[in-house]
Amino acid sequence: MRVTVFGATGVVGQALLPLLAEKHEVVAVSRGARDPDVGIRWVEADVASGEGVGDALEGAAVAYYLVHSLGARDFERRDREAAGNVAREAARAGIEQIVYLGGLGGDDRDASPHLRSRRETGAHLASHGVPVTTLRAAMVVGKGSAAFETILGLVRRLPVMITPNWVSTPTQPIALTDVVRYLAGVAGNDAAIGQPFDVGGPEVMTYRQMIERIAALLGKRPRIIEVPVLTPALSALWLELVTPVNALVARPLVEGLRNPTVAREERLRKLLPFELTSFDEAARHAFDA
Amino acid sequence: MSGLPGWEATERVLESGGFESRQRVLLPEPAVEPSESGARWLGVTYWQAVDGFTRSSVRATWREEGGRLRLLGGATLLKFGPPGLQYGDEAVSCRYAIEGGLLALRAGGSVTLAQRAEGEQHEISVTVEEYLPRLAARAGAPWWAGTVYAKGQSPFHAAVSRRYFQLLVQGRGA
Repeated sequence: MRVTVFGATGVVGQALLPLLAEKHEVVAVSRGARDPDVGIRWVEADVASGEGVGDALEGAAVAYYLVHSLGARDFERRDREAAGNVAREAARAGIEQIVYLGGLGGDDRDASPHLRSRRETGAHLASHGVPVTTLRAAMVVGKGSAAFETILGLVRRLPVMITPNWVSTPTQPIALTDVVRYLAGVAGNDAAIGQPFDVGGPEVMTYRQMIERIAALLGKRPRIIEVPVLTPALSALWLELVTPVNALVARPLVEGLRNPTVAREERLRKLLPFELTSFDEAARHAFDA
Repeated sequence: MSGLPGWEATERVLESGGFESRQRVLLPEPAVEPSESGARWLGVTYWQAVDGFTRSSVRATWREEGGRLRLLGGATLLKFGPPGLQYGDEAVSCRYAIEGGLLALRAGGSVTLAQRAEGEQHEISVTVEEYLPRLAARAGAPWWAGTVYAKGQSPFHAAVSRRYFQLLVQGRGA
């Protein structure tokens, strides 16, 4: 089966490609020219403009959509348009399934723009009739994951942290290796076509607990002071100052901290059973990668 | 209760002196699945309801050993143990033991968020059991304590429960 991967150069895409290449003919999409990899054909396309998207989908049965525009000021509009372009071309190309990695926690009326945008992207992908399999995940724990690198940057640099009280919001981070295993497992899987699934790691924790766990793994003991008033804009600027993450990426992530990102169901865990990676193991793997 | 079918709210003082309050609705479909995640979701959504109803002035913060319901990030109104999750085909629940705080006279009692089959329907409930509120009419309490509980804390429980049921119903369709 031929599968096309949009967002193939991202953290999740890079980890997913070799897994897909074990079973499928893989077409990986990037905006610039790339050297060929074993079992992977790279093609150029731009989901934002729609240029080359139709060609990239030709002959494929499944399309992966791992694209996001975090870091752009108008990421909501960009994500909407890009998803619309892919949905339209996927319908024209006769794609049987779109697999989308969305976010947990965008259901509330007061959801952050980032989480709301992840949810709307899924709706736009489904807008031209191709069945969408949505995997909704919280933070992906892996090298290069923006959210994980933000926390890691804080722990590595700050002995004392002044944080918004949103750090007490529960979340269910998932290891990069586990999320790509789920993503690969749903391709062409009849029970998964057109279905939304929550995916989470084996542990639920608050961001504060996550900071403390990472600190313990790094042999540090930061002091965390929660304050009730710290705006997302201030937090984002502060994060840009002390972590490698750009404020335009950090702000939507910080805003998202106020929404719980916890799986509410386990259907995919039952459909694709395997032992999930513990948070500590996933974090250690990310440090070493 | 508009939009919340089968709404019922009861409150009584138990022989032990503790309070019991219960709110429930009946839904045609389950709000959560019978699993650990489903049980946990009952709890997560409840604290979201508290946060939303109070416009984030009262929020739950969590550690390994349990949670604290804090006013403006400071005073601990109530302390809870870690969630006790139970799930099966007939019932799903998330229970928090009350371990103290400014609004509790002493540790004791619990808050249970539950879903259970009720004939063809599914009952979703919030039950506070054996809770000893500091603000309640009792021997030795200030004269105004009972009024503050009856006019403030008790309606607050019911209003948060309404918000909670609404969130669960919204989330079911998500």
